Amino acid sequence: MQSFTRHFHPGWLIIAPLLVLVVALYLGPILNILWLSVTDPEPGFGNYAKLGESDALLRIVWTTVRICIITTLFSVTLGYSIAYAMVHCHQRQKSYMLTLLLVSFWISILVRTFSWLMLLGRRGLVNVTLEDIGLIAEPIAFMRNELGVLIGMVHYMIPYAVLPLLVSMQSLDTRVMDASRNLGASGAQTFWRIYLPLTMPGLVASTLLVFILSLGFYVTPAVLGGGKVLMVAEYISVQLLVTLKWGTAAMLAALMLFGVLAMLWVMSRFMKLSTVFGGTTR
Amino acid sequence: MHDKQFMKEMLQDSAHAYKEGRMDRRTFLALCGASGVALTAVMAGDAEAAADHVVMWNWGGQSEECHGSAIGDAFTAKTGKGLKFDTSGPLEGKIKEMVDSGNVTADVADADLFNAVSLGPTGHLEPIDYSVVSKDKTLPGYALEHGVSVILYGYAFVYDTEAYGDNPPENWADFFDTEKFPGMRSLYKWANGSLEAALMADGVAGDALYPLDMDRALAKIKSIKDNSLYWGSGSAAHSMVVNGEVSMGMIWQNRGRNIENDTEGRYKLVNNQALAMPGAYIVPKGNPAGAAVMDFIATAQDVPAQLALLDCLGMTPSNPAAFGQIPEDQQDYAITSAKNIDKIVYNDPEWWGNNGGDAVNAFLEAIS
Repeated sequence: MQSFTRHFHPGWLIIAPLLVLVVALYLGPILNILWLSVTDPEPGFGNYAKLGESDALLRIVWTTVRICIITTLFSVTLGYSIAYAMVHCHQRQKSYMLTLLLVSFWISILVRTFSWLMLLGRRGLVNVTLEDIGLIAEPIAFMRNELGVLIGMVHYMIPYAVLPLLVSMQSLDTRVMDASRNLGASGAQTFWRIYLPLTMPGLVASTLLVFILSLGFYVTPAVLGGGKVLMVAEYISVQLLVTLKWGTAAMLAALMLFGVLAMLWVMSRFMKLSTVFGGTTR
Repeated sequence: MHDKQFMKEMLQDSAHAYKEGRMDRRTFLALCGASGVALTAVMAGDAEAAADHVVMWNWGGQSEECHGSAIGDAFTAKTGKGLKFDTSGPLEGKIKEMVDSGNVTADVADADLFNAVSLGPTGHLEPIDYSVVSKDKTLPGYALEHGVSVILYGYAFVYDTEAYGDNPPENWADFFDTEKFPGMRSLYKWANGSLEAALMADGVAGDALYPLDMDRALAKIKSIKDNSLYWGSGSAAHSMVVNGEVSMGMIWQNRGRNIENDTEGRYKLVNNQALAMPGAYIVPKGNPAGAAVMDFIATAQDVPAQLALLDCLGMTPSNPAAFGQIPEDQQDYAITSAKNIDKIVYNDPEWWGNNGGDAVNAFLEAIS
């Protein structure tokens, strides 16, 4: 009995129902997807072989990855400056900024997407104004192309980039920076050599969060891309709902899943991921 | 399989009993639990159907109101059964999923006739009972084993009268000619209609479209790719035109009238060479209301229902007996009106049912 309790902490009993729930409702369906990807329409790795055979599939995956990388780059850079500004301004301004950030965070993605059309569309506010004051002769194609998708996605992702960075910056010990200045480092030196490395866990967290969420984007590319920017999520939905090629859909879903897992694994070679997710550095 | 049937019948019986007060709620729920049926499924599906309703699975929006007034009221008057809606949109994958899961909650889906060709042979649909539903009340070739066309909608286009007022475009060849008619175009993103329009623009006769020459169609589509946007829903097609993003836009013809009104006549509908699409009612396998749904489909075929659907939704009648009764103010918009019927071409549901999946993927690959 004693050896049993030594190996089996009674705490497990308390979380057992939760574990069962997670396995049943979360792992179950994922395994089902993986199973589907090697069994539909016929058993084997035919669905995965399509990746090698079809240029189109590779192009869709590449478009997705490219857009996600650019989105992540811009969202995290902009998010970093916003978070930096928020941490270093007065409490009052900070609450204003946080409110604005959260309001845009809470507005539905559809509303935000369509607002961009009204602002930057062919006959949107910006184009019409520029034409009226004679700056441009032809409307600028901001929307219904890859640029439109990027604008929409970066805008949507900025709050996701800011929040982890904000947490990380707030928990810094500002005396370290004071010490750095005191010892003769310039402002830029202090930032690059002290501040940036100290906020690295927050930076990685927000990069991962933004990149992974971007991979699953559906609405924004579908609306702002004008049908010409096809990302994996939309392609998967077409294969599920319209063309009934569930095997292909499952294969792409599995590919995304393994892609993300591989990314996490590579990250974990360079740093302790637990610090990214709020753990201690020990 | 046998057990499932037994469970279902038992549950339907108990749902009746529960509704009539012969069984208390707790016993009913216990039975549901014992037979492994989620409560929501029973409440939404079996219990409702057992409670003498037919559940129609449509696309929401205006259609809920219109199907109710155009078909539901007459159906209730005739059979005493009610009509309820699931407005989540019966895409082919959703129908397949519903039937495969064994939890069928809809009786009739407002779908396309080509869905009947692709889902029928795989056992996902009930056959249409042509002793109740009439083959004569639809166009020839549009009464298939697993689905019957109840309305027609069309792929037509609208153009900007301010851009092309003096020399308006008249056919798909003009639509695809961006030299003679400069400006942006919009096409349907999921291939249907777009491929046929491209072939007609390339000189293929309207009655010789099928089997579609995919390479030829895609080459034509690609030729105006830089000047094209693609829409995936009726509202997107509508807004691309109304917001002035395109000078010519392919649309579902039933939206033509609204677009003309919304733009105060600036955009005008062209029904010449419109592709008539058979919108069909299909019945998911093992539908909860059983055979009663055939009465519903038969009601929808009747001339008054056909005309009411035209009035309410802009969907064109497919029952030839209704063609002659299309009112004057709908002559321009209904594709089977005396004014338009000689100018239109017809979709082949057999080709789309058998080749649609590959065609959609080839199209998406060409435009992305």
